[in-house]
Amino acid sequence: MKTLEDLINFYNTVLLPELTVLEKERKAIVRKLVISVVIGCAIVITFFLWGYYKNIQEPLLILVPVAVLWYFISFKKQNFIDGYGYIPTFKSSIIARIIKFVDKNLDYLASDYIDDSDFIRSNIFNIDHNVYVGDDYISGKIGETEIEFSEIFSAYSGESGTNSSTYSHLIFKGLFFIADFNKNFTGRIVVLPDKAERFLGRLGSKLQSRNRNRSHLIKLEDCEFEKYFIVYGDDQVTARYVLSTNLMNRIMDFKKKTGKSIYLSFVNSKIYLAIPYSKSLFEPRLYKTLLDFKPVQEYFENIQLAIGIVDDLNLNMRIWTKQ
Amino acid sequence: MWMVIIIPVVVIVIAVWLYNSLITKKNQVMNVFSTVDVMLKKRYDLLPKLILLVKAYMQHERSVLEEVARMRSQAVSDRISDDEKIVLDNKITKALGGIMVAVENYPDLKASQNFLLLQRAMNEIEEQIAAARRAYNAAVTDYNNAVEMLPTNIFALVMGYKLKKVFEISPQESEPVVTKDMQINIS
Repeated sequence: MKTLEDLINFYNTVLLPELTVLEKERKAIVRKLVISVVIGCAIVITFFLWGYYKNIQEPLLILVPVAVLWYFISFKKQNFIDGYGYIPTFKSSIIARIIKFVDKNLDYLASDYIDDSDFIRSNIFNIDHNVYVGDDYISGKIGETEIEFSEIFSAYSGESGTNSSTYSHLIFKGLFFIADFNKNFTGRIVVLPDKAERFLGRLGSKLQSRNRNRSHLIKLEDCEFEKYFIVYGDDQVTARYVLSTNLMNRIMDFKKKTGKSIYLSFVNSKIYLAIPYSKSLFEPRLYKTLLDFKPVQEYFENIQLAIGIVDDLNLNMRIWTKQ
Repeated sequence: MWMVIIIPVVVIVIAVWLYNSLITKKNQVMNVFSTVDVMLKKRYDLLPKLILLVKAYMQHERSVLEEVARMRSQAVSDRISDDEKIVLDNKITKALGGIMVAVENYPDLKASQNFLLLQRAMNEIEEQIAAARRAYNAAVTDYNNAVEMLPTNIFALVMGYKLKKVFEISPQESEPVVTKDMQINIS
């Protein structure tokens, strides 16, 4: 495992020269953006003054300036970023290097992501989605364990029947991780954050047992684990075979380490893990300098956290028939 | 007038529901116990292979090995009750733990490929047995609660249902035994 000291050395010797080049691009993009916004504001003010002079009281007087400003801020911004190839360059020269620095055995594909079918197979989010995108796909082998993870955005959008307005329901946004599990088993075990039981007590537990979208409720003997997680599985014994007392402790420790709600599932000898994040994990900053060490440290820690799952959940322990 | 009909109907529905829930819990215990039994049979199938392999090396533990072989023969016989099976299983688990620890004193044995493969298989079965026992204990706890708590205890009394024993699992027994050679293989 690489330490923070190693990262500081790596940052100074390898990343800083690359970041200095990218910083020039970033500044050029921001400069163009500022000029565009100034032009946009000038057009808007001119439009307002013209409307005021002509005494026009039309809704267009509001809509047109808003559209112009939106064009200059959003569309032009994306245009400039794409024009410079800012994000792909950043990812190939910085993120890819950090990943290889963390572990040489890892491969990185910036625009790829975990397959839709794997996301569905995990059965963690039991809701159909029609929006599924992602990026920053990382894969490789840590010890004996094959892993892959990426950022995922999954949502359901549609039109409501009454007034034909569109709506969007977020299903998941964050880091989605898959690894080869160290025990052979068939079936499905889903471990979700338990909100109902923590707030409603026994009533919550009763309601959970009647969840028709899920298989059997598994009541485990670890009280602390039960307080934070709810477990559904096809079979009571298989669920306990997978969720040994040791693994339950490790999941609890991992939850405390991340400080987030974590979702897990175990399907046919694979482990799936979803950690929600509100922001993108490996995107470059635009309005702040790139020469700051802090974001680099964040990228590093996010990668370490993901590959650390193998050690945190002891997935390299191969003392059973699966080698 | 309606109340005269409704109240008995409600009472009957509740009584049937309580009765059925008690039966369900009892059947759940039986069902999970049969799984424990299947897992234990898997272990009993592996035991002769283990004894045969380690007997050639372990000179000082012969009496322990003979004792395990005797308990195994007793456990596979059809004449023992479920409670006796639980007691025998606890004894065998303890004796096996002792054998696995003693393996550390026999470098040739613990480095043997056959032994490592057998140990993997044993670890897997032990883990499955531990899982089945935990599932059994959960089912028994559920059942015992129903036998002791009002109002299902009234039905349990009438139906002659009694409290059932749970498996006693010490933390050491629930963890697989890993020899140093296996740890080297892992790392």
